[in-house]
This record gives sequence, C-alpha cells and structure tokens, in this order.
Amino acid sequence: MEAITQLQYAFDAPLGLGLLWLAWRTLACQDLFEAVVSFAAFGLLMSLAWVRLDAPDVALAEVAVGVGLTGALLLAALAKLRSSKMNEDAAGQLGKEGSEVGRPQWLPLVVLLSVAAGLGHAVWSLPLYSAGLSPEVALHLETSGVSNPVTAVLLNFRAYDTLLEMVVLLLALLGVWTLGGTARRPEAAPGPVLDTLVRLLVPVLILVAAYLLWVGAHAPGGAFQAGALLGAMGVLMLLAGWRLRTSLMALPLRLTVVAGPGAFVAMAVITLFIEGRLLEYPPQHAGTLILILETVAALSIGATLAALFLGSRPQDLENR
Amino acid sequence: MSAAFAYALVGVGLFSLGLYALIVHAHLLRKILAINVMGSGVFLVLVALGGRTREAQPDAVPHAMVITGIVVAVSASALALTLMLKLVAETGRAELPTHRRE
Amino acid sequence: MGAVFTDIPWGVGLILLPLAGGMICFLWPGIAKIAGLVTAFVVVLSVAGLGWQILDDGVYHHTLGGWGAPLGIDLYADGLSLLMLAATALVGLGVSVHSSGYFEGEYSARFWPLWLFLLAALNALFLSADIFNLYLTLELMGLAAVVLTALMGGRDALSGAMRYLLVTLLGSLAYLLGVALLFHNFGSVDMAILAGRVEASPAVRAALGLMSAGLALKIGLFPFHFWLPPAHASAPAPVSALLSALVVKAPFYILLRLWLEIFGPLSEGVDALLGLLGAAAVLWGSVQALRQTRLKLLLAYSTVAQIGYLFVAFPLAVAAGLTAWSAAAYLMLSHALAKAAMFLAAGNLLRFGGHDRIPDLDRVVQRLPLSTGAFALGGVAIVGLPPSGGFVGKWLLLEAALSQGRWGLVAVIILGSLLAAAYVFKVLGHAFTQASTPHEPRAVPASMEWAALLLAMGAILLGFLASPVLALLGIGDPFVASGVGP
Repeated sequence: MEAITQLQYAFDAPLGLGLLWLAWRTLACQDLFEAVVSFAAFGLLMSLAWVRLDAPDVALAEVAVGVGLTGALLLAALAKLRSSKMNEDAAGQLGKEGSEVGRPQWLPLVVLLSVAAGLGHAVWSLPLYSAGLSPEVALHLETSGVSNPVTAVLLNFRAYDTLLEMVVLLLALLGVWTLGGTARRPEAAPGPVLDTLVRLLVPVLILVAAYLLWVGAHAPGGAFQAGALLGAMGVLMLLAGWRLRTSLMALPLRLTVVAGPGAFVAMAVITLFIEGRLLEYPPQHAGTLILILETVAALSIGATLAALFLGSRPQDLENR
Repeated sequence: MSAAFAYALVGVGLFSLGLYALIVHAHLLRKILAINVMGSGVFLVLVALGGRTREAQPDAVPHAMVITGIVVAVSASALALTLMLKLVAETGRAELPTHRRE
Repeated sequence: MGAVFTDIPWGVGLILLPLAGGMICFLWPGIAKIAGLVTAFVVVLSVAGLGWQILDDGVYHHTLGGWGAPLGIDLYADGLSLLMLAATALVGLGVSVHSSGYFEGEYSARFWPLWLFLLAALNALFLSADIFNLYLTLELMGLAAVVLTALMGGRDALSGAMRYLLVTLLGSLAYLLGVALLFHNFGSVDMAILAGRVEASPAVRAALGLMSAGLALKIGLFPFHFWLPPAHASAPAPVSALLSALVVKAPFYILLRLWLEIFGPLSEGVDALLGLLGAAAVLWGSVQALRQTRLKLLLAYSTVAQIGYLFVAFPLAVAAGLTAWSAAAYLMLSHALAKAAMFLAAGNLLRFGGHDRIPDLDRVVQRLPLSTGAFALGGVAIVGLPPSGGFVGKWLLLEAALSQGRWGLVAVIILGSLLAAAYVFKVLGHAFTQASTPHEPRAVPASMEWAALLLAMGAILLGFLASPVLALLGIGDPFVASGVGP
C-alpha cells in the first residue's frame, strides 16, 4: 500500500504544479495565441486531475466542453480579433496585446496573496474526513432509475438545477444571436485531408456519443458528455465547410436548440400533474424517463454548442 | 497531507492567480481567460474536497455541480467572446474604455 | 372556491410560465409581443394566487423531485419572498406594457425571450432555498441582463455590458467558492439545514467574506459600484428600469437571507463595515447624481445611493432587527416601483425629444404631463417624502438608528434625503422651463406613459399600505434569525 501511495504522490506533485504553471503561462504569456494554446493544455491537465480525483464524468465533460469547445471558441475569437485589427490602423493596436504584461503591480499582488492565504487557511482547517452527501445519494440510488450516482444527481435528485443550466445554455445562444455575431472572414476551402478526416470521424463520433449517452446510466457518461461530443462533431463539420440547408437553419434549428430545456420544462409540468411535485418521477418509470430526457438533452446540447461556435444567426450568414 | 487537500489548495492558487490577472490585464481576451482559470480553481476545490469520504467512492454531488458549472462557464465564455468582438468592431480596441466623466 | 384556487401550484408556475413563454417567443418571433404581454399578466395573477395560498396555509414549501433537502432542492416562500415576487411581477407588467411600445421589429423579437428568461430567473431566485441553485439563478439572471443591456448596440451600451458581464462573472465565482466552502464544511447546500449546522470556523468566515464580496459586486455597493452607472444609463430605458428595480435587488435578497440564516451570529465587524460602505454609497451616489447632466446617468447614480440605504440596515439590525430589516425590505419595494417608473418616464422623454440632457428638457410638463407626473411621484418616493413607500422605509430606518443613538447614521439618512430632493427637483425644475433651443416632439404612445405613471402611483400607494404590507412581510418570520445566537 505504501508503494502505491508514494506513486500517487509522485504523480500528484507534477500534476498540481503543472496546473499552476500552465495557468501562469496562460495568464502571463506575451502572445495571445500561445496563451490560448496554454489554456487548452491547462484544460487537458485538468481532465487528468479529474481522473486522478475519481471524477471520470467530470473528466469527460472537461475534455469535451472545457478544452474542446471553449478552446475552439477562443481560437475562433482570436482569429477574428486579429483579422479585424489588421484592417485597423496598425499603429499601437497590435502592440497592445502583449504590452501590459510588464512589472507586477503591487496592490493587486497584495490582494492576490491575502486572498490566497485566507482561502488556503480556510481550506486547510476543514475536517480531514467528511461524508458530504454521499450517504444520502447511496441510500436513494436504487430508486433513482440509474446506477451512476452522478447521473442520478444530475437527472433526478437535482434535476431542477439541470433544467436551469439548460436554459442558461439556450440563453447564451440567444445572446450570441441577439448581439448579431460578427462578419465572417472568407474561409479557405478545406483540404482533402480535413475533408476525408471529417467524413470518417462523423459516423464514429455519432456512435461514441450514442454509447456515452447509453452507458451514462451505469458508468461514467451521460447527456452532457454525449452532447458535448456531438457539439465537437458539429464544430468539425463547420470547420470542414459543411453547412446546413437554408430551410433547416431557421425554425428547425431553433426547435432543436429549444428541445433540451423544453423537454425538461415539459417533464416538469407532467410530473407536477402526475405526482404533485415538480420533476418527481414515478419510481418504476424513472429510468426510462431519464433516458428520454438525456437523449433529447444531448441532441439539443450538441446543436447549441455547434451553433455557439458558428456565432452568427445562421440566416444572417446566408444573407451576406 | 491527503490528495484532497493538495488539489483543493491548487484550486485556491488558481483562483487567486486568475483574480490577479483579471484585475491587472486590460485586454478583454486575457480577462476572459482569467475568469476561466478562476472557474477551474473553484471547480477543483469543489471536487477535491469531495474526496474526503472514508470509502473509496467520492461524493457524487460536487461532481454534478462541477459538470453544471462547466456548462455555465462555456455559455458565459461564448457570450463574453461575442461581446468582445462586437466591442472591437465598434471601437477598434479589445479593451474597456476608461469611464468618461460626464 | 378557496380549495380549488389554492390547489393550483402557483409557486412553481411562477418559474415554469416565463420559461415556457420565453421559449415560445424564441421559436416564433412573430407572436413574441403578445406572448410576452400575456405571460407578464399571468405572472401577476400567479403571484396573487401564491399570496392567497400563503395567507391560507402559511409559508410555501415545495420539495422538488420529492426528495427534500439535503439530497434534493427545496422551494420556499415566506412573506419576504412573496413581496419580492410581487414587486417583480408588478414592475414586470409595467415594463412589459412599456416595452410593447418601445421596441419595434427586430429589437422587439430579441427583447421578449430575453426578458421572459430574466423574469423566470428572478422568480426562481426568490423562491429558492438552496445556495447552489441560487448560483444558477444568479448566472441566468446575470447573462440575460447583460444581453438586454447590449440589445440595441452602440459603443456605450456594449462597453457597459462587457464591464457588467465581467463583474457579474467575478461575483458569481466568488459566491460559488463560498458555496463550496460551506458545503464541504457542513455537508449541505440547503439554507435551512445549514442554518442548523453552522458554527464558527475559518471556512465559514472565508465563505462570509467571499459571498458578501461577490454579492456586493453584483449589487453595486460602494466601492464596487463602478460598473453600474455606465450599464444602467446606456441600456434601453425599459431595461434600465429592470436593472435598477429588480436585478440589483435580487443579490441583496440573497445576502439578506444568508445573513439571517447562516452568517448573522458570526458577523461581528462585517456589519459595521457594510454599514460604513452603505453610508458612503448614500453620500457619494447622491452627490454624483446631483452633478449629472444626463437624466439616465442621474437615475443610475441615484440607484447607487439608494442601495446604500439598504446596507445601512446591517449595523442597525444588531439590536433592532425587525425594524431595520423591515425598513430594508420596504425600501427595496419602494425603490423598485419608483425607480422603474422614473426610468420608464426617462425613456418616454428620450423617445419624445431624442435626447436625455437635463438642461434641455424644454417644458416637458406641457407636452408629456403623465410622464413628468410619473417622474415626480417616483421622485417623491425616492426622496422619502410622505406619503410614499420611501417615507415608510426611511422612517423605520431612522427609528432603528435613533433608538440606538447612532447619530452618524441618522445624519447620513437625512442628508441623503436632502441631496435626493435636490437632484429630483433639479430635473423637475428644468422640466418646467423652456430650453434655449426648441426640440421637435415625437409622439409617445399612451400605454408607455401610463405604465410609468401607474408604477409611480404604486410606490406612493405603498406609503398608505404600510400596515398590511408589514403584516405580509412577517409571514413565516423571515427576520427572526435562525441558528446559533442570542
């Protein structure tokens, strides 16, 4: 046991320090592109940390959403930033990207150190062992309809939180569309390698997403991970130049995007009238209902994330 | 020290680093990166301290909270990036204008 | 009739209806305006239904998913929640009516789903009893508010929205870290359970600091107010009304709940600090308001000042809890109605004259008597002249301060009212005089004027209804601090 513990510690120190170092690189790097790439690497290391901390569901979500989608969004934004700046008067504008990373400023540094010290002391003072809510989760897991405790919490015990979260995602898309997006640069045609890769990957990704969705009931996985994978697939397709037919981009897209939160709200209303309480599933049908919700949610999340990457409202793009 | 506390302290460190960068940097993309790093720090504190159970399985509720948090973070980031690009299109600079006195 | 009426799940409906309405508006922009107005109206009815239910059966308690805390999430509504929900519903209806005339075409299609999601978030926030759930409602509310601020574009609105977004995200993260510390210290995120388990520890103190700072950022308490004037002034007028009236009150409501349930007995020193910052906000905000030449900026700085009054209640509540907290609640309600009315009136003036420069208000009294009246009545409530809700609130606050001999705070409250009178009458003075250059008036729909006026009359009406409102406030004893303590 000693050797294994020593081995774990040998793994933890580089991982923890690596996280801090990559975060510092992200925040202090002169070149913005390097900063974004460091952030993606930071996210990958975070996924490793989640695995180390026995949180495989979180690891999957982090890799797909935190690294994949957020990384893609950052890179796309950076590209648009640079192309728009090259149209501006270059004097002084481009230089601003890296110029302020100079001497550390004393007042914020004091803030940083005192905040870190106070929080560190607070964390350190916590009891060594604490069951948290795991006894309650374990107690009710059988009647929840699934056997993966994280899925049970997300889709049953605290399903209301998930409902709100889906609305937040929808709201973000609504916000991006409201702001009107930005002018797209003319894109280079994808080379044959990217095109073939996408054609090969899309069916594989669909299968893996479906698997993640199905297996989420009893193993790490679930709607968010599957949906994020579908979103990543959507981003790949967009990068390879695929576009939906115009007729599909208006109401059908909106319906797909609304379907996730809409299904939750519909389920909420139905359970309200059947059981008298919001989102209380009848125990014998809980598993099925959760699977239905997860499927709709995964499709909706995938569409929303891909649409977030696309940026502008699809019909606006067609009108240029 | 147990792994739970070690990673929680790393989380505190990330939160503090992100806070410093948020205050100090003027460029909006850097501020958005800083917010994301801070968020990761908070998530790390949430999950790491959930591993203090005596059994092999950690507490699942913080995991669910962090998954929720990750989705909220990407939503906020997407919105922030779009707003930043609109601001650049409008003003030519990816920084917040200093508050003019009226 | 009573039984059927109270069986309807009004509380839950308050959250689901705006969500459904928002999604409908998103899917079918053609019917957005109608759907929005209908939803706003039904929300008012639902709050009335909930109120009836609470009067009949006592506090509203709904265990979501049937699990109950600590495993599940609980909804909870007592007198304080009910009044906040009522203020939200009434201001919401007024703003909805006003917006139906204010926004056209593409802007209208974009406004309604955003507004309805904001409404859902507000209702969900006032009904929630779970601190992690509150984080989600805060984020939903914050993102919706940011997009609404930037709705009509323009350099000021975009930068105001961007600054607001960064501030609100920072506040949320600080709040969430506090939630993490509380959860890992006591094993629950339910407020009632935490109230029973909390005891002094470094983690609780850190959580207190984090959550207070995070929420103070979102409320706009001095010195964290820097984002508020640019955002509130550059947003479209109905949005400014929502921001000043409701969006800054929601985080204060959360802070109040946390204080009463969890942090109260452990807060020596912090309440004095909050009171000091509140006093500074009152004075600084009022002085800045006086200096403004643009109407909406004046109103925004006035909001900064009015927020200060809410925080003055913290040090006073140590010995005179019920009076001080009732004062804060009353001031919240009165300010919500009055400031919304004033911003809507300012919106009418903007629509009318094409500008909101105070010196050029060009005999608005003649041209837009209803809007000027709305502004004047709202101003009366802000200043705290009798009879108005503001008067009742400030009277209670003064009572609490005088009974404890806190002469400094008494002076601040009175001085703040004098300064408020100064800036309100400054605007009204210009409204009665002719400007140096005449302006071509545009028509303002009557519905927009009436929306502003009715909200302002509501603020005055609050002054007459002090007894019943305070009685409603007491349902469920929200201001009796639970947990450890005297």
